[in-house]
Amino acid sequence: MNPPEGAPPAKSIVLPGALESLGPLADFVHAAARETGLDQKAAYRLHLAVDEVATNVITHAYAEKGVQGSIHLHAQVDPDALRIHLEDTGEPYDPTVQSDPEDINLPLEERGVGGLGIFLAKRNVDGFHYERRGDRNRVTFVVKRPPGQA
Amino acid sequence: MAFTSSLEIIRNVAKITLTGRLDASTATQFRDLVDQAAAQKVKAVALLLKDLEYMASAGLRVIVFARQKMGVAVKLYVVAPQDIVRETIEVSGFSQAVVLLPAYDAAVIEGK
Repeated sequence: MNPPEGAPPAKSIVLPGALESLGPLADFVHAAARETGLDQKAAYRLHLAVDEVATNVITHAYAEKGVQGSIHLHAQVDPDALRIHLEDTGEPYDPTVQSDPEDINLPLEERGVGGLGIFLAKRNVDGFHYERRGDRNRVTFVVKRPPGQA
Repeated sequence: MAFTSSLEIIRNVAKITLTGRLDASTATQFRDLVDQAAAQKVKAVALLLKDLEYMASAGLRVIVFARQKMGVAVKLYVVAPQDIVRETIEVSGFSQAVVLLPAYDAAVIEGK
């Protein structure tokens, strides 16, 4: 059910660790971006970054290991920036230290398909941070707010 | 917007139209159409992206799959992508492997 019109977007959401959650994830990120006054392009980029990390978690930390888990999202609206925190309960994994794909300039027929998602995540936000908190991985995406929106 | 995908094969050209949001939850539908096109031994694939609002790396991986499955002799065209989708394609190093066109051009794609 959609929230009533004009209601402030939820600041936190917990989604099942399944690919079907990527739609609600998109809605959550776009609602937070609207509230923060980000333009459509910045909202798109933030959505792409969060989507790629969530997809990695769902695919590699949960599905491939036969583990059930959740995706926890929290939107933190600060005067200077919008911060989205994504937490999962998979094994410790720091995507911020993953190196960029080495074969990005190779012809497609010779390329691997790994690493592109995190590559895109990193380059589409202003900040991309990782910390391990208890039994959770936490990735924080930072997008600076446009001047005058604080 | 929900994701939709459709395939039409005319004169050995597979036209794949994608709309809405292409992420890892919907990319398998796109991949299925590439499989169908490959089975028909088409000479070119045109991805019609005018109404594709969003593409994650899962969509790029299907383009890699198409190239590797069909071989280099099959031309891949990306037609009318929105600016930000085109940017994703370009920064990922795909612009040399596909032909980006602002609109469907039968003379180029179908060789007429």
